[in-house]
Amino acid sequence: MIPIENFLLLAAVLFAIGFYGVLARRSAILILISVELMLAGAAINFVTFATYLDPVGFSGAVFALFVITVAAAEVGLALGIVLRIFRERQTVNVDEVDSLKW
Amino acid sequence: MFDRLPLPSQFDRIIVQGGIAATLFGVPVLVVLLALLIGNRIEAPELVFWLDATVVLLGALGAVFLRNLVHAALALIATLIGVAGIFLLLANEFLALVQILVYGGGVVILLIFGLMLTNAQDDPVVTDGSQKPFAFGIAAILGGLFVAAVIDANWGAQTLSVVPFRDFGARLFRDFLVPVILVAVLLDIALTGAFVNARRSSDEDAMVPTGQDAEARS
Repeated sequence: MIPIENFLLLAAVLFAIGFYGVLARRSAILILISVELMLAGAAINFVTFATYLDPVGFSGAVFALFVITVAAAEVGLALGIVLRIFRERQTVNVDEVDSLKW
Repeated sequence: MFDRLPLPSQFDRIIVQGGIAATLFGVPVLVVLLALLIGNRIEAPELVFWLDATVVLLGALGAVFLRNLVHAALALIATLIGVAGIFLLLANEFLALVQILVYGGGVVILLIFGLMLTNAQDDPVVTDGSQKPFAFGIAAILGGLFVAAVIDANWGAQTLSVVPFRDFGARLFRDFLVPVILVAVLLDIALTGAFVNARRSSDEDAMVPTGQDAEARS
């Protein structure tokens, strides 16, 4: 049996890589890709706990399904907004969309 | 359309370099894992896990560090399919199938569409911000914290149990019925909002000339 720590460490490293991407990238779509990495790490964590520590209820697996669904909705909505911003401003770099900064 | 894709000029070079890099990194990993397996240090599922983890982490690093937008999106596919493999190792086939369907089939296509509809075709290579060292420090601290916490914790008795389709469906639609309906409503609202946002409204073009229209008229 694979130790539970392997999965948890993989999820933690995946989350940290995604976090770096969110902070370092400029393009809004690449930030979305990094957010997907973070969500994948969180989903691995949920399923790991469901499989190893909650063998009868596996609520974590159900929750991972919700995570996947909400991630799909988030990508669709965010891409609509990104396309709108690109039409208005000809750029998707988040540091150039700073109208609120006075 | 296809001659406007940003791939062909860099396609061969990237494929060759990526293949060489993957081989240089993958073959030693495979050799070490096989040696450990033959020496009875690890079991066969662990070998599969480490290979899968290598795919996931290499894909994630590629998605974060590659400078070409399209290559980053393609590296994301490797990570997401690898995560489906992780779900299989966690004995949950249903989530693995959903992962491949939703991510491999839907989300990645949507992201690549977003890249193509914005500036990927003119300027596929991005320059990231000057906040890179700061971001790296924060992410390293966060990752180190998580890793230390996981290693330090005592997880108690662990049992690996397969999640059957039938029980999963019963649990989902019996005990979690209200959240399922809420998520359905959320999806409906989100996709309607995406459509309304991305639509080019006719009266908006007539009233307020924006972007290229304004440049063309001025």
